[in-house]
Amino acid sequence: MLKPKRMSRLLIAASRDQMAPVVAELYHHNLFHIEEYVDVGAEGYEGFKIGSPLSGASEKSADLIKIRAMTNAVSLSADDVDAGPSCSLELQIKIERELPLLEREVEELTVRRSKLDTRAKELEQKIAEITPFLDVPVDLNLYHGYKRFTTIAGYVSREIVLPVPCEMHFSKGKEKNFLVVVFSTEQRSEVEKALQEVGFQSVPVPDESGSPKGRIEFYKGEIAALNKEIEGISKQLENVRQKHASFLVACEELLKAEVEQTEAPLRFATTKQTFVAEGWVPTDQVTAVTNSLVHVTEGKIFVTALPTDLEHDSVPVEYNNPDFAKPTQVLMDVYSRPGYTEIDPTLMIAIVFPLFFGLIVGDVGYGLIFLAMSLGLRKFLKGEAGEQLLTVLRNASISTIFFGIIFSEFLGFAIPGWNPVLYSRHLMSEHGGHGPNIPELMVLSIWIGIAHLTLGRLLGMYNHAKQDHGHHRTLAVMANFGWLAVMWGIILAIWSCAAIPLMPSFTGLPVLAIVPGVGFGLNLATIIGGILILAGIIFIARENILEVIELPTIVSHVLSYARLVAVGLSGVAIAMVVNYMTFEMFINPALENFTLISIVLILIGLGIFLFGHLLNIALCILGGGLHSIRLHYVEFFTKFYKGGGKKYNPFGMKRRFTEE
Amino acid sequence: MAAEAVIAAVDVMSIEQITASQVGMKAIGAGLAVGLTGIGTGVAEMGIGAAAVGAIAENKDFFGLGLLFTVIPETIVIFGLVVGLLLLFL
Repeated sequence: MLKPKRMSRLLIAASRDQMAPVVAELYHHNLFHIEEYVDVGAEGYEGFKIGSPLSGASEKSADLIKIRAMTNAVSLSADDVDAGPSCSLELQIKIERELPLLEREVEELTVRRSKLDTRAKELEQKIAEITPFLDVPVDLNLYHGYKRFTTIAGYVSREIVLPVPCEMHFSKGKEKNFLVVVFSTEQRSEVEKALQEVGFQSVPVPDESGSPKGRIEFYKGEIAALNKEIEGISKQLENVRQKHASFLVACEELLKAEVEQTEAPLRFATTKQTFVAEGWVPTDQVTAVTNSLVHVTEGKIFVTALPTDLEHDSVPVEYNNPDFAKPTQVLMDVYSRPGYTEIDPTLMIAIVFPLFFGLIVGDVGYGLIFLAMSLGLRKFLKGEAGEQLLTVLRNASISTIFFGIIFSEFLGFAIPGWNPVLYSRHLMSEHGGHGPNIPELMVLSIWIGIAHLTLGRLLGMYNHAKQDHGHHRTLAVMANFGWLAVMWGIILAIWSCAAIPLMPSFTGLPVLAIVPGVGFGLNLATIIGGILILAGIIFIARENILEVIELPTIVSHVLSYARLVAVGLSGVAIAMVVNYMTFEMFINPALENFTLISIVLILIGLGIFLFGHLLNIALCILGGGLHSIRLHYVEFFTKFYKGGGKKYNPFGMKRRFTEE
Repeated sequence: MAAEAVIAAVDVMSIEQITASQVGMKAIGAGLAVGLTGIGTGVAEMGIGAAAVGAIAENKDFFGLGLLFTVIPETIVIFGLVVGLLLLFL
């Protein structure tokens, strides 16, 4: 918790004949993050070379490529298939027996389909060639077959009279004018010269016979027939896909596993007789991995955990969170994975994000809709990240319902017979009860901001204390303390001169000094606040003087938390407006005086209700989600979080469709 | 002249009218606060949003960060909203 998983650097050395069992065992464990060997003559690795693939690698990858080509051809993706795991041995036999047949079938179909596609494109091209000649009232076979005459056609900017005897047809178009000329071949140069003046663009004369219209219709009919045939082939491919989907995805998984294993030695360092693999394993798994490697090679292996050098090694980072916080990792990965040595704030987001979301939306009705969405969308959103997001939405919706009860809100209405606990967000107070407690809510959100940012700065001090060394470490920790001191100094100074609800007030303290000229009284709190601000600025400037220009962000970041109330209130306002329009403007007047038009009015009212609340739900998800996560990313993380950790990507796979 | 006219106008205004016009002024102020800050946010997000969409088109992994950068200027309109709410309800 709050720290990534501890990793140990493992060095494995064995003779080459043990390579296959070692690789298989590592793959089976799915724990070993291979540190790739790069042939740059690193110290201790003189004379080593990058390994070569295990036997059978090229056949396996060729098979894998075939399978992928097939899954592509039938547009199949593993996420669409819900199949149980099948036995690898059976699958192996099936691959040898059935795969070539299936491949031939699919290939035949796809080749035929692409041939038909090409033919259809050719015909379309022919139609495009004939189309300009549609306006010329001449059969197409009259354009060619002359010995002494030449036919040319093309677009010109305006009508022209050629200086030679010729047969010409000019048709005026909207943008371009089309011209067909038949002339004596001897006078070609004169004709070309004259045509150049009117910007002649040549068009090929189609080698066809019959009327242009008839030819186009004929080709269109052929294209339609081709398309029908293509459709039939697509249907056949669809049948293949449905029949063999689970077999294909299982094949792909099995072959992928085998290819990855056979190619693993490419990442190892090898000599003629031995190989060395380095990588990372979670510290608590080192013994298990070591023991099983020793067991599988009957002791003919050397495995040792190397000391980690946090300065130079880039340790892969694997989250280490309790189950309920795991879905939030997706929000961390969007920003950046934590570094190995810093605090992993996933747990804090997992708790605070839903609270912020609930505080912003705070409506039982919307909460229930979100809950239904997070459960219902699971069928459509496949893949790990999608499921994690939906779990985050589920947690947020539970918190929304909780705050909805506190604020007594249901789709913008007050919950009948239930008054808001603590503070109300109801903007209209005609139906009894008091109006919105905006100032109190604002101050509450500012308190949340102060607490969140103070936590952020404290974490920043901790991170710097852990990560930095020597003089810089002291400076960095003190600078973080300085930021805290300035923030609290400003807060103290404000408390000493203004009374704010829900906050302590030091305005009553005796005045100790008066600023000359202004008549501004300084009491103990003001003076302490001033000293804190000054000391803080000095600490910040000692680390980096340029940081001082960032000082105003203290105020803006704290005030930024006011969005928790402001965005929420805007949502409440939209919901209330929608309800007001629906009931006060349409449905209630219609019911008072019921006529035929009333039905129309009621329908319009219901439409507004549905559309308005749909819009508000979308805005609430966007607003609630984005603003809560932004408060983390921008306001909270900038105080302590660096990120940039390397993803822990162990050698192995989570099998879905195959068994070992 | 103008001063006389103002005095004359104030003379004819009753207390209710004055409070009513104050409420109206507050509403105008709140509207201006939200509207102008909204424009400010829009202008600021314009460039960021365009760049973010470009980056996402190149590489889909930028979606999260792009979205994040795009909403950073939202703070401006939030301040406007806060000021508006305080004007109306404080």
